[in-house]
Amino acid sequence: MEEKKLFKVTSNPIVRTPRDTGRIMLDVIIALVPALGVGAYMFGLNVAVLLAVNVAACVFFEWGYRKLLKKNTSVGDLSAVVTGMLLTCVMPSSAPWWVGLIGSFFAIVVVKQLYGGIGKNFLNPALAGRAFLTAAYAAYMTNWAVPGAMRGVVDGTSMATPLSYMHAGEALPEYYNFLNMFLGGIPGSIGEISTLAILIGAAYLLIRKVITWRIPAAFIGTVAVLTLIFGCEGYGRVDWMLYNLLSGGLMLGAFFMATDYSTSPVNLKGQLLYGVGCGAITVLIRYFGSYPEGVSYAILIMNCCTWAIDKAMRPRQFGVSKEDIKAKKAAAKEAKKKAKEGAA
Amino acid sequence: MPYKYYGGVHPDYAKTAAKTPVKPIAPPKQVVLPMVQHIGAPDQPTVKVGDTVTVGQVIGVNDAPVSAPIHATVSGKVVAVEPRRHMLGDMVVSVVIENDFQDTPCEDMKPLSEAELKDPDAIIKRIREAGVVGMGGAMFPTAFKIQGARGKIDSLVINGAECEPYLCGDHRTMLEHPEELLKGIELVRIAHGLDKCYYGIEKNKQDAIDLLMSFDPAKYGVEIVPEEVKYPQGAEKLQVKANTNREVKPGGLPSGVGANVVSTYTCYTIYRACYEGVPSIERVVTVAGDCVSEAQNLLVRFGTPLEHIFAEAGADMDKVERICMGGPMMGICVADPAAGSIKGASGLLLFSSDMNRESETPTCIRCGNCIAHCPMKLEPMYMYMYVQKGDIRKMEEYHVMDCFECGSCSWGCPGRLPLTHTFKLGKAMINAHRAEEKAKAEAAKINAAVAAEKAKMAAEGKEAGA
Repeated sequence: MEEKKLFKVTSNPIVRTPRDTGRIMLDVIIALVPALGVGAYMFGLNVAVLLAVNVAACVFFEWGYRKLLKKNTSVGDLSAVVTGMLLTCVMPSSAPWWVGLIGSFFAIVVVKQLYGGIGKNFLNPALAGRAFLTAAYAAYMTNWAVPGAMRGVVDGTSMATPLSYMHAGEALPEYYNFLNMFLGGIPGSIGEISTLAILIGAAYLLIRKVITWRIPAAFIGTVAVLTLIFGCEGYGRVDWMLYNLLSGGLMLGAFFMATDYSTSPVNLKGQLLYGVGCGAITVLIRYFGSYPEGVSYAILIMNCCTWAIDKAMRPRQFGVSKEDIKAKKAAAKEAKKKAKEGAA
Repeated sequence: MPYKYYGGVHPDYAKTAAKTPVKPIAPPKQVVLPMVQHIGAPDQPTVKVGDTVTVGQVIGVNDAPVSAPIHATVSGKVVAVEPRRHMLGDMVVSVVIENDFQDTPCEDMKPLSEAELKDPDAIIKRIREAGVVGMGGAMFPTAFKIQGARGKIDSLVINGAECEPYLCGDHRTMLEHPEELLKGIELVRIAHGLDKCYYGIEKNKQDAIDLLMSFDPAKYGVEIVPEEVKYPQGAEKLQVKANTNREVKPGGLPSGVGANVVSTYTCYTIYRACYEGVPSIERVVTVAGDCVSEAQNLLVRFGTPLEHIFAEAGADMDKVERICMGGPMMGICVADPAAGSIKGASGLLLFSSDMNRESETPTCIRCGNCIAHCPMKLEPMYMYMYVQKGDIRKMEEYHVMDCFECGSCSWGCPGRLPLTHTFKLGKAMINAHRAEEKAKAEAAKINAAVAAEKAKMAAEGKEAGA
């Protein structure tokens, strides 16, 4: 008898969304183009060199590590490309290419792959890479080149970022006006200078539903409220708040770093708490820290709290009311009390 | 106004058959009728090889309350009563009838009288006789469901969401038999002893809503509720929530919050059983998918071998990788196309390997989509983790048992995790664990009793000795 053709059996659902991990990462890559584009326009060729080195190195380390340990290849999900681009965004344009190479190694191998790869790392790889480089190569990592738009306006080729002035309590020079800070005509990390470019990318991510409003809104909102309340001597309250929002990579951090899937809470209420935490720690560092820049450390600190937040802020199940939970808690308490009495 | 609920997804609805009228297919040479076409006790065949049967004649029954009789769907001769491959995979005793193409009707079942059409007991009796089961796919015996809910509920919800992609059978029934459908709903309402009921229909069937409204549904005690287009709108618990704003408790039934849900095609089948005296012998099946050039709605008699249906639909079987029974979100894959169609098969979808998005290396990226999509507000990614670890305590803490397997989490998972599948495994693990614990407790009880008895005997022995 001829063997009859049997058809394949899989579990439900039979259909799945076409959006896989690679497609989501591609969206992030697209969203980063405006910010990196402004960076390249303002700082010139070295941005392209750094970007090429970082992306190539991240992809290579991701591929090589998994090849070496005989794990499945994961470069196809494009997450290593995103890490390379984000790392470029948070480096100064004057950094030599080999610093980027070392940062890429740290980000991909130490922070991401040693913990099991995508989805398993508990720190944001690009920010951890930056933190490592800042500690190891402080001179390269704090040398801020003058952007193209300011050449001729100021002397020299490097100068301090707006946050450095603000941190020192000095008045900002006049070319650090709101317009320049919004468009990107200020010194700073490659991808953080232009709020406009970041917002364009962020809008794309929000429209494509790659990220939700929760974390960025909670983050930026907290920074805005706290700086408005506490203000700073020598600045108008609203001016001070706006300077804080437009400087120091707050927008880049809120939209591109804090929303990193692996390192942020998955529960919706937890995401709000996480965003508020990021904002509060940023403000604390900016006010009281010895280092002018707070965003990256704030996010790294909150990264460490992610699992705890997820456990603490679990959603209330369908069909379970607040009263049900209260009753359950009361019953548990009662049982504990009884057990104690019984033991006594 | 429908009430809102959390979660849900928006898959590609692909309802390309929505404008295609229902077409009866040529009857097959043979029908294979498995004795399991409902949840509950399997039927016992009442015919033997060589018997001549008529259309609508009872060929399988079981006296258990949770069961439904099965009727012959063609007239002709019984050629086999033997285990055959069921659509869902098992070998099940089936009655095979050779069609004589005469369609000789069975005279056993007559339309109900005017008085009986107003009598809940008569209606429920007829629903049982006619072998009506939940036609949405659950295949729960409808008479038992109504009997159980009667007197306990104040809200009846008729489910016209048809939220599964591709499927259009309910939609076409609304358009082609609006008055009959409303009369069927009225019967179900009377059977529940209620004055009024809700009919929840997703807004993507606006033409059907308009048409039904033109028949004055209030006359039948029906309030039509246009619902948001979102999967899984048609899930029982969410229909109750959308129409009555009540949430069924975890592990509970809709009747626990005074509600009951009956699906559209079930109501239409009940109409035919009561007004026309036709038992449950056929249904609309949407045949669609990327291996069918034109999606169709076919009126198919139960027991028709799937191969015959596919040939009638002109499907390209060489391209097919998977056959799906029901909708693509909650449907079940059928391996063997020789199996006979059953009552719960609302759709037959033929997919090529192009539609297969499963991954060999599923990887969670913690995007949180599963949590945003779960209508039961569970945390699929953590549940998945704990089932993989086999941690029963954590599985229970994360409510694996309360997943109703709608597939929304898996659908939206970019890392292609087999979430729904894993929860099915997890539930089986928890059930096995609970059974084991129960057995252990029983054993301990018996051991304690035996020990007590022994001690007593020993004490008595001592006394006697002393």
